[in-house]
Amino acid sequence: MTSTYVPLESTKIATSHQRAWAKSLQQQITSGAKYAFVNADTPHELFHHMGLPIVTNQWWSAIIAAKQLSEYYFDYMETLGFHDRLARYSSLPLIAELEGDRERQPWGGLPKPSILCARQSADDHQKIFSLWAEKTGAPLFLFSTPAVPDPHPDWWRMGRSDWETLYGRDRLDLMVEEFKELIAQLEELTGRPFDHEGFASYMEAINEQERIYEDVSEILATAPRSPIRISEQIPNAMIPQWHRGSEWALSHARHFRDELHERVKAGTAVVEEERIRMMWIGAGLWFDTSFYSAFEESHGAVFAWSMYLPFAADGYIREMKGDPLRALAARVSAMNEQLHQPPWINAWMVEQAKKYRIDVALLLIPEHDRFSGHGSLFAKKALEEAGVRVIEVWSDMVDQRQWNREEMTARVSTVLDAVLAEKGV
Amino acid sequence: MAHASSLQSTGAAGTLLDRAFEARDRYEPVAPLPRVGIFGNGFPEILVAAAGGLPVHLSMGRLSSTADIDEVVEPFVDEEGRIFLNRLMNGEFDDLAGIIFARDDAPALIAYQYATEWVRQGRAPKTVPPLFLWNLVHTQTPAVERFNAVQAEKLFDFLERIGLRRPDDETIAEASAAESRRREALKRLEAAGVSGATAMRWRNAGRFMSAAEHADLLNAALADAEKVENKSLRIGLIGSPLASPASYDVFERYGTIVCDWQPWGAVWPGPGNDKTTLADILRAAAADPSCPRVSPTTAFRQALIEAVVNAQCELVLCQLAPTDDTFGWEIPALASELESRGIAFVNLGFREPDPETWHARAAALISAKLGA
Repeated sequence: MTSTYVPLESTKIATSHQRAWAKSLQQQITSGAKYAFVNADTPHELFHHMGLPIVTNQWWSAIIAAKQLSEYYFDYMETLGFHDRLARYSSLPLIAELEGDRERQPWGGLPKPSILCARQSADDHQKIFSLWAEKTGAPLFLFSTPAVPDPHPDWWRMGRSDWETLYGRDRLDLMVEEFKELIAQLEELTGRPFDHEGFASYMEAINEQERIYEDVSEILATAPRSPIRISEQIPNAMIPQWHRGSEWALSHARHFRDELHERVKAGTAVVEEERIRMMWIGAGLWFDTSFYSAFEESHGAVFAWSMYLPFAADGYIREMKGDPLRALAARVSAMNEQLHQPPWINAWMVEQAKKYRIDVALLLIPEHDRFSGHGSLFAKKALEEAGVRVIEVWSDMVDQRQWNREEMTARVSTVLDAVLAEKGV
Repeated sequence: MAHASSLQSTGAAGTLLDRAFEARDRYEPVAPLPRVGIFGNGFPEILVAAAGGLPVHLSMGRLSSTADIDEVVEPFVDEEGRIFLNRLMNGEFDDLAGIIFARDDAPALIAYQYATEWVRQGRAPKTVPPLFLWNLVHTQTPAVERFNAVQAEKLFDFLERIGLRRPDDETIAEASAAESRRREALKRLEAAGVSGATAMRWRNAGRFMSAAEHADLLNAALADAEKVENKSLRIGLIGSPLASPASYDVFERYGTIVCDWQPWGAVWPGPGNDKTTLADILRAAAADPSCPRVSPTTAFRQALIEAVVNAQCELVLCQLAPTDDTFGWEIPALASELESRGIAFVNLGFREPDPETWHARAAALISAKLGA
């Protein structure tokens, strides 16, 4: 049933670019260059534009998990007196830092950052970053995160241009003011002034890049059969996202789109006889990414959707309206919330499931990362009401101690068997 | 509803406070004011009082039966949020003029988001009162001050919309006088030498009545209150919200709780309630160090340690709700800081669903520490 899957050239390009970038970043920061350690939902654009390298907490967390170190660190975390129901994805790098054995860590560990930055989106982010600051002595910049009191469900439409209404003037005013405070600190840190004109062009380039991803999402959603695995979607979306607005990122996005287009035109598919289309809801299962292809052979079932690719367009394209800092605030001020809070998550999941013709959704519910877990059952209910079967996956994106591949495969197989029976296959 | 209190029965003031605590948001206070629900710590109740309303806390209620919304409430949602949502959808708050949620109190934000979404989807009863999110940011910068001032204006619009008057300088000053009297009475409560359990009940009774009534009842009750035997051990209680007299009784077998620094302890009413101007109220509320989201981030732990040290605690007990994902980050540093000051620290861990099992475990842990 499965054709011999040929990975995209784009994937090779992206991963080797990332490797080279990581190597160069490693060289820079381990030889004493200043860098920032930041959370994923902070305005990376400001750091990039000021030329201050960043290491992203969740990216670093995934790197540690991919090296199969998470189990060790989470056991260690408990010996320090932290209980086992605290968040893991966001805290793995902190625990590695507290453990202190640099030889064990990727890159031989991270040196002291010049600045730490987080948004107070989840209640524990400030605690985690505060402990980093205490341990390393690095200054901490925290973005205030008031909630959106009257969230419109169709954020992915309104967010493009009517973001003032969507996110609220008061919230945007506050975030822009806090951007200015951060910029002042970055100017001091780098000794360079913030180039406002250049920043406008940079923001335009990011919008352009994300519009390419909008095309990509359209190609993936409308292709008769899924042309690539999500394990290829993710790096081809995420790696350019880490470098968003750069010449390389734009050029890669175009190459990825063109290669995908060719693949669809040629009728190439992950599974020759695609019978079931699935979506993986939530962060990647970083320690077991091969799970994403586990049902191709047995059921003709392919994971066609993961949030990373469609979120590039929906979460990032923000019309500039002559005010790039404010447009950036519109991008950042509810970035993570859109993926985890009702009505945003449930409305978007249904829209995407319909667009991608999804039969079955696997919903990752990390119970010990409550910010990411909240809203899950709203999403489940909405998807089921839209005719999508939902399988709850009570696990964690970086802690494999809770993951039982065999048991999960059996659970998913039962549902897929039922779907095939319903379809008369 | 519980019987209305009467100030003529001062001899029974303590009983009335106990009854109010027991009845929670079903307590019927002396003044028949429009009731406005409050969910979470961090909202200055004075602003509802200044609008002519009666602030009534809703987060300490008990669940009688579940409603349809229960199916979308994940097991890791805080218990007080789950109970509130079910009660709300069962119509238990239909008599309220509105409900205000404190954004920076974790269960309150989730309660607000889940409730508003259930309403938006047309699944909630039509009688659900208007809901409002109090979006105060707990930081002190000029930008945040401007933002918080906007939130106050939005609150005032809401209060007007639900039929109350818009607070002004005069009504705020008036409400502040009552709050100041309450604060004085609470200071006396702390100094009175009553048990920690009694202090907790009498303090929290005020969440369901006006500041003036609370102050009067406290003053009357304290005139009659029996002091507890002066046991040698001075205990601090920290961690997740706890309002279980049975748990207090277990802890107080070993001494007296003299510092109750958990969200349902002496951190309420929050700072700002007794200020006389809106700007001062907002500034003080934004600097409340008991808010886990306060910035600078070190303020929370510093304030906690200060409170424990000032109360001359010899033993600090930390207990956690099974859903804790925030306070746990403080525990190792707290333990080491307190122990370095010669204050014994016992982490009782997560509360268990069965109180007897949890109390037995807690007692064993405390005994082991004290026997060590």
